[in-house]
Amino acid sequence: MNSLDFSIVAQAWPYLWSGLLLSLSLTVAAFLIGMLLGTLFALVQHFELRILSQVVRSYVALMRSIPLILVLFWFFFLVPIVLGHLSGNGRPIPTGATYTALITFGLFEAAYYSEIIRVGLRAVNKGQFEACQALALSTFDTYHHVVLPQVFRVASPIILSQTIILFQDTSLVYVLSLTDLLGAASKLAQLNGRLVEMYLAAAAVYLILSSVASQFVASLRKRYAVAGTYR
Amino acid sequence: MQQERAVNPYDRFPMVIVEHLIKRFGSFNALSDVNLTVARGEKIVLCGPSGSGKSTLIRCINHIEKHDYGRIVVDGVELTDRIRDINSVRCEVGMVFQSFNLFPHLSVVENCMLAPLKVRGLPQSEALDRAMALLRKVRIHDQAKKYPAQLSGGQQQRVAIARALCMQPKIMLFDEPTSALDPEMVKEVLETMVELANDGMTMVCVTHEMGFAREVADRVVFMDCGSIVEEGDPSTFFRAPNTERARVFLNQIVH
Ligand SMILES: Nc1ncnc2c1ncn2[C@@H]1O[C@H](COP(=O)(O)OP(=O)(O)OP(=O)(O)O)[C@@H](O)[C@H]1O
Ligand SMILES: [Mg+2]
Repeated sequence: MNSLDFSIVAQAWPYLWSGLLLSLSLTVAAFLIGMLLGTLFALVQHFELRILSQVVRSYVALMRSIPLILVLFWFFFLVPIVLGHLSGNGRPIPTGATYTALITFGLFEAAYYSEIIRVGLRAVNKGQFEACQALALSTFDTYHHVVLPQVFRVASPIILSQTIILFQDTSLVYVLSLTDLLGAASKLAQLNGRLVEMYLAAAAVYLILSSVASQFVASLRKRYAVAGTYR
Repeated sequence: MQQERAVNPYDRFPMVIVEHLIKRFGSFNALSDVNLTVARGEKIVLCGPSGSGKSTLIRCINHIEKHDYGRIVVDGVELTDRIRDINSVRCEVGMVFQSFNLFPHLSVVENCMLAPLKVRGLPQSEALDRAMALLRKVRIHDQAKKYPAQLSGGQQQRVAIARALCMQPKIMLFDEPTSALDPEMVKEVLETMVELANDGMTMVCVTHEMGFAREVADRVVFMDCGSIVEEGDPSTFFRAPNTERARVFLNQIVH
């Protein structure tokens, strides 16, 4: 084996960078969709809305029990067919790999975030709800201004950890022929034969970003431990 | 002030009327046939052994607990299942809890402003002015920007009182406001409550602080096993209670 030559990585950097941008934008978009839907799902279960909460529960259970890669395939083939049926002419309407990835990750993460938020909702002290009642706050204001902000605070370390996993999972988009950071590294590696350098470089980027985020998680944990009374 | 009062047709009526109140938890009767009238400006101290239904009774008055039978009328509005009635009653009834229940993610002044902004629809500046004025009244305005966890228990409870007062309630309910406090902080909270009483606020206080009861209560109501067993003016009640149950209870809290 040849000695390692990292100048190749410097040359490849623009391409790796564009891959990293895709990974990051997928993470951010999936985070936003996932948190929005996850919060809704958690609230539906929290309020025990009859049929709806059962639907949500089954959905969450399903998403959590199958591998993400399978969900990606499903959406890639299913969504165009469903859209075709909805549009009436029956022919599949291709949605494009980027949208598929975005929607899939968002929907998939929603299941995980909703579990985190559901548990967080249960942890909010009963006295908080009673104080809101005593002040005549509406249910909406109670959740909007009192309950959910506390849940997000308490759960923020876990939510962030889940988001780090999401960031790493975005590497699965290679099955949709999208080029994320890992995909970019792998394509270049096959072209220039510098497998070790390229995969080391990709690993370094994942390592740096994930550990920065983990540091942040740790600091959040500390901050809310100091602030105390979050229960 | 006088004229403004005369406009309200319910002014001649009591602030709170509780009639034949029954509250069950499962098959257990937490309140059985409770009758209580609270006049405007009246200060009532509610006492009795643990589990006698004191908390349940005052929590029914602002519908934190839903009563099963009987009638509750607050300032002329009967508590029914209608959200509108419940909300209009809750707007006029302030409550202070044993465990403060401040909102930990909001600063002291934000705690006080939330309900006036969202429920009363006050503009920001007015809600702020009102919050600061009431925080000054409970002598905690210099801590307005702090968070509840940064305050002592006594300070937190005074914030909770200010928060309730910001809704400008017509009656204040207190559920053992000093029993979660260290002894040295009890006094500052009781002083605040005495001042409130001197301002003419209608108050129902669940408390075992006999000094406070002697000083401000117009009436002491003694409960046991979900019923009102005895009531009277504080000096008589504490000196010579009529019932054996009250005697036993008073002996216990003195020793
Ligand atoms: N949510 C509830 N579910 C079931 N039982 C309850 C509930 N709340 C209160 N109870 C019961 O109702 C009875 C009256 O309770 P309540 O809290 O009103 O008593 P209390 O006089 O305030 O007592 P304490 O001095 O301990 O606060 C108690 O026996 C209690 O166990
Ligand atoms: Mg009680």
